[in-house]
Amino acid sequence: MVGYLLGGWVWLCLVTFAGGCLLRAFKYATAPVHLRWDLYPVAHEPGRDHGGSYFEQLEWWTKKREKDHLAEIFAMAAEILLLKGVWENNRRLWWASFPFHWGLYLLVGTTLGLMAVMVGLGSPFVTVVLTAGGVIGGGLTCLGALALLVMRSTDQKLRLYTTPLDRANLLVLVLFGGLTVAIAVGFPGMNDVPAGLVSLLSFGGATIPAVWALQIAVGALFLFYLPLTRMVHFFAKYFTYHQVRWDDQPIEENPKMASRLQAALAFGVDWSADHVGGGRTWGEVATTIPGMEEGE
Amino acid sequence: MMEGPRIQTREEMSSFLTENEGVDVNRLVPLPFPYEDWQDEPIPRLTDSQLERIVPGPDGIAAAQIPVPESDEERDRVVASFLEGLRKLLTKENNWTFLQPFILSLENCVKCQTCADACPIYTGSGEMEVYRPTFRAEILRKIVDRYIKPGGSIFPKLRGNDIELDWDVVVRLAELSYRCTLCRRCAQTCPVGVDNALITREIRKLFSQELGIAMPELHEKGTVKQLTVGSSTGLNPAGLADIMEFAEEDIQEKAGLNIPMPMDVEGAEYLVMHNAGEFLSWPENLQAFAIILEAAGIKWTLSSELLGYDSVNYGLFYDDVQYSRVALKHYEVAKNLGVKKMLVGECGHAHKALMPIADRLIPEELRVRTESCLVLLEDLVVNEKLLLDPSRNDFPVTLHDPCNITRSMGIVQPERNILKKIAPRFREMEPHGVHNYCCGGGSGFAICSSLNFSQWRTRVAGRLKFRQILEAFADEIGPGTKKYLCAPCSNCKGQMRDLINYYEAWDRCGILYGGLVELIVNAMVDVREGFIEWEMH
Repeated sequence: MVGYLLGGWVWLCLVTFAGGCLLRAFKYATAPVHLRWDLYPVAHEPGRDHGGSYFEQLEWWTKKREKDHLAEIFAMAAEILLLKGVWENNRRLWWASFPFHWGLYLLVGTTLGLMAVMVGLGSPFVTVVLTAGGVIGGGLTCLGALALLVMRSTDQKLRLYTTPLDRANLLVLVLFGGLTVAIAVGFPGMNDVPAGLVSLLSFGGATIPAVWALQIAVGALFLFYLPLTRMVHFFAKYFTYHQVRWDDQPIEENPKMASRLQAALAFGVDWSADHVGGGRTWGEVATTIPGMEEGE
Repeated sequence: MMEGPRIQTREEMSSFLTENEGVDVNRLVPLPFPYEDWQDEPIPRLTDSQLERIVPGPDGIAAAQIPVPESDEERDRVVASFLEGLRKLLTKENNWTFLQPFILSLENCVKCQTCADACPIYTGSGEMEVYRPTFRAEILRKIVDRYIKPGGSIFPKLRGNDIELDWDVVVRLAELSYRCTLCRRCAQTCPVGVDNALITREIRKLFSQELGIAMPELHEKGTVKQLTVGSSTGLNPAGLADIMEFAEEDIQEKAGLNIPMPMDVEGAEYLVMHNAGEFLSWPENLQAFAIILEAAGIKWTLSSELLGYDSVNYGLFYDDVQYSRVALKHYEVAKNLGVKKMLVGECGHAHKALMPIADRLIPEELRVRTESCLVLLEDLVVNEKLLLDPSRNDFPVTLHDPCNITRSMGIVQPERNILKKIAPRFREMEPHGVHNYCCGGGSGFAICSSLNFSQWRTRVAGRLKFRQILEAFADEIGPGTKKYLCAPCSNCKGQMRDLINYYEAWDRCGILYGGLVELIVNAMVDVREGFIEWEMH
């Protein structure tokens, strides 16, 4: 019975996680095209080392635009894998945040590995790697979350901006990380784990040890609420970087965007301040001034 | 000195309870030699009669000049309008211009506080909590979560939505949106890419576009005046003609050159767009441009059309509607004149308003190619199209990077290449380029001097910049060596003037400020020596 309930809970959480993330990503992706809001350095610009842009060129519109996609990938990789920005600007936090993030990366990798084993891609080598992934990933997550929890509870600057739910979230991750270590150590070789997971997800009725059931339930809980939190920055960051601070493409290079902008000018405006003169379209509001003759 | 934030609990944060005692000048970041014993004058509190009319911010400063309400109904109306405006700010119809970056920043701040140390106002103030980049943004997030999103009142304390919205919170938030210069240094350091400066701008926008509340220097005396009279300075075409006549005479007298100020020349290579503040406060800048362009043989013109002689666009700082109206007018003037290009003069925000931001706003039929003066000047200087004698600039020079030109546009190297060519004793500030500190006059602050705001601006907002300037000249800081602080931006120059005056830096250290073109002309062989006049103005 517990197995069935747990299986249902896991499925519910997975669906909520996927659906929630998709909805938020959809909201960001379908927001109307905005006015430019570049912030330098822009990683794909040839002058990125000094923060330069194509505006540094005389008659910039006549020059061939060079965009270094590889540099952009390296910049993102340094952010994601090394937490470069935190290292450079908030070193104290980095010592907690870096292991915490790497713990989560390793746990995601371990989960993907388990899925591979579930579909028959297992081998002794994979088993060793997964065990190591579970121990190290769980350990780093647990310790990193614990360190963040301590910092957010003792550092006045962080404490003021930390909510009870933020602390609860970190506690969930401390617990999840710790339980993961216990399972990786307690199930040598993790041999039973893939089969157990298959049974759980297919409502096969296999008996799952209590500590493992708890680990799964806690992990699923984390996935359940994640889309409602600021932790969606793992994909939101794509938009903040690529669609805002690094988005320096001139309009004439993007006719599709030009037509989207044209559509935006037809949106109705109903701001109430007198000087706006709402109740008209954006295009009309921008080209007329209340109290002055049309178009003057 | 660093006593830590006076706001100690989340409850205090939500109600801005404890910063009401105002700015303590003894907590400001200390200055180096020769200012170790410098005693700042306290920032005056508003007088009783002022307080009867105007509501100050939680720090006792007043920029937006929000009127004291006459009745409880009026208070309620302000709160209701604020919430209505907040809803509009989150709709694509009313806010397509910045909706995506706004919601991304609103929903993804992990509150790691990495941005705090990057903020010159927060650090310069001695870490006053209400100036922290996340402070006002977090207040707005709480309000959105509690009052706009469904289910916001369920377990508010647990979720951090522990804010009770009332008139006090609303007006203090409005005031606090004018304690950030929108320099975006905070955004630059954010690992997630959140932009708390943008949130500040969105707060200003909400108040302006919904409630008609904005800093008067930006709105009534700024964009409104510009759209009706032609310039935020109040300068009309007749006044412009007088100034140009005076400029021609002045060039003759100072530089020994006969140079006409071309006006409304159809089909010219460049329409030069100056901040009209230059005409009134720093006419030598306008004159230096004329001398350089003539010497280079460039066919250029100014415009006498309404708005065509003032590149200012304060809408950029607080109101998308006003921004759009001004930007469209600027392009309309250039198009009608049939010039090949627009050249943006030494004005940081005009660069940003006319180039990247206007890029997605100006319809194709009005588009005119627009270029930074720094890039053209680099071409003229580095490729030796002007006859220059750098030894004429044999004095220490440092460069202030205008945020809008560097951090927001990536124009960093041209000005340096010029200075390396014409100023043998050029030295950088640290940090510089895209990592510079704002002068403290950004986002329109430089033009606001009413009530006690200018005192706040010089003591708090410009504190780190002034420290940087002193450090850049540390090896020759005595008043016997005249030093040049190059600030190629009109608003930055206004702030530099006020900083130098307040800190008595001309008398104590011999620091003078000015633009870049003045330095170039000062080194031009064909110009009479001594174009830069070494006296504080």
